[in-house]
Amino acid sequence: MVARWQAELGMAALLAVIGIVTIIGALEYGVGWSPSGPEPGAFPFYMGIIVLLASVANGLRAALPLLRPGLWAGQAFLKPEQMRLVLGFTLPILGLVVASLMLGLYVGMALYLFGTLVLQNRYPVIKAGLIALTTPFLAYLLIERVFKVAMLKGPLEAFLGL
Amino acid sequence: MDGFSGLLHGFGVALTWHHILLMVIGVLLGILVGVLPGLGAPNGVSLLLPLTFTMDPVAAIILLTSMYWGALFGGSTTSILFNIPGEPSSVATTFDGYPMAQNGRATEALSFAFLSAGFGAIVGVLLITALSGWVTQFALKFSSPEFFGVYFLAFASFVGLSGAPPLKAAVSIALGFSLAAVGMDSVSGSLRLTFGFDVLLAGISFLVAVIGLFGIGELILTIEDGLKLDGIRAKITPRDVLRTAMQMPKHWATLLRSSIVGCWMGITPGGPTAASFMSYGLAKRFSAYRANFGKGEPDGVIAPETADHSAGTSAMLPMMALGLPGSATAAVMLGGLMIWGLNPGPMLFVERPDFVWGLIASMYLGNVVAVVLVLATVPLFASILRIPFAIIGPLIVVVCFIGAYTIAGRPFDLWLALAFGVLGYAFKKLDYPIAPLILAMVIGDKAEDAFRQSMIMSKGSLAIFWSNPLVTSLMLLGLVLLFWPLLGALRQRLRPSRA
Repeated sequence: MVARWQAELGMAALLAVIGIVTIIGALEYGVGWSPSGPEPGAFPFYMGIIVLLASVANGLRAALPLLRPGLWAGQAFLKPEQMRLVLGFTLPILGLVVASLMLGLYVGMALYLFGTLVLQNRYPVIKAGLIALTTPFLAYLLIERVFKVAMLKGPLEAFLGL
Repeated sequence: MDGFSGLLHGFGVALTWHHILLMVIGVLLGILVGVLPGLGAPNGVSLLLPLTFTMDPVAAIILLTSMYWGALFGGSTTSILFNIPGEPSSVATTFDGYPMAQNGRATEALSFAFLSAGFGAIVGVLLITALSGWVTQFALKFSSPEFFGVYFLAFASFVGLSGAPPLKAAVSIALGFSLAAVGMDSVSGSLRLTFGFDVLLAGISFLVAVIGLFGIGELILTIEDGLKLDGIRAKITPRDVLRTAMQMPKHWATLLRSSIVGCWMGITPGGPTAASFMSYGLAKRFSAYRANFGKGEPDGVIAPETADHSAGTSAMLPMMALGLPGSATAAVMLGGLMIWGLNPGPMLFVERPDFVWGLIASMYLGNVVAVVLVLATVPLFASILRIPFAIIGPLIVVVCFIGAYTIAGRPFDLWLALAFGVLGYAFKKLDYPIAPLILAMVIGDKAEDAFRQSMIMSKGSLAIFWSNPLVTSLMLLGLVLLFWPLLGALRQRLRPSRA
């Protein structure tokens, strides 16, 4: 189980790091005054400082109650069964991204749909296959034919000469 | 051009078959995204926006705004029939809408919802028609410090009034501004915050952020709840609608009060969600049937729906006149305006009256079209929700990623969409508000420019923000709102010591 205070603290830490990264990046371009006004880094610099300071404060608010046990008691961020559902939904999306980058979005979405329907939801193979094949086809008609926008393609499209 | 002649001119622009067809398509797509979990108005508009890049701006904005109206209606449908708010702003509609449907009054609840929503929307548009000329005249006097003051006021009100933890709202806003700064700086040409990564040169698109934060994040949340869709069937006949319409005048007080709340929250960036909750609370307080609220009281449907829609429409006023969006969806549209090469703000009324008045006129028509269409198609769209989420969920994921790629044709955006999705999920669960982050990303460059121009004007002195009564009052009001939570905490701490 992930406790609420752990999630709060983790998010605050992540955001504090983003704040620090922003500040470092801003310092590269100068944060002071130049003859033509504020230097390019000034605005992001102050934004980074707000992110950092507010996140430190949020982190402290999450951590301090630990000294007084009972305040966060029992507050869950993710229960084990929720975690399973969330990961079961999110990891295939990661697969979709990786597959799409290697094989193009059409093939990626077909594999993703087929995979989630058959492996995860025990859908009949024929029905799942039908959905997995018609979706990219409809997407192709709508996106490339109607709206004339190019889609991310991979080796299969190159082979088919699309 | 003032209100009335402008509006007539606008109807001339908007009333073509092409535009009316776009309205119908927009409203239908809107109802669809409003009904589907994970696809709401901001996300739907973001997905459609890249496909409008080549369209004429008037046609494009009509399509997108119609989608917005449709999404607002679609969100109420699922609230009433499924107890699932399709949009955050229709959460309050579930309180009495779903019980009404359970009691066998689904048709009545839906008709009340749509008719009062239509009423609220028309009040919002009337307000825009009446005020836009005046606001524009006022805003034409603005220069950089005043614009910065307006932006400051808007974001301060997010920290002070949005109901989210103030420090978390502050993080969201500053993070949004930081993300907006990534890439080529429009003033100096320097490549900020790219850390040598080529993929960041063009910046981080707010559209990818919306698709991730609102779309994928929302889907993960839906999954986590272990979604059970158990809808109530409803068939709407013209006679039922007419009977409900006859009852509407009885609820005039709720309608009027909720419209005022909605317009106020739409113009100040409180947004439709806050408006619907506030309006529901007020309706309950003033109602003679207070005990009936939560068990299926028509006023409990009318109040949030009216406020939701009047806020949604009136949010377009500050968007056009000041370049300041009043809701996340308006923020996305504002970004669209800039992409189409328009410059939102008071000069828009001077330079492109056809666009502005065409849009306003289309809002009258679009909302009427939306009420008619939604009444006609509710059973159809409700049946979509009966498709198992196991199929709908992955399909929506696919649509989101197609949308993310079509924005700029950059493979890297797929990673960004996923990252924003996980971030959006965590933000929602930990009460970090998302709308201000989007607003900050969209108007980040404009706010920064206003700040830099002001600094150049004053040679680096912050005193310029106190240099005339207008900017001083904007900044003062902003500061009061910013420290409002602190004042509240102070009052609370003082009270027990006195007792």
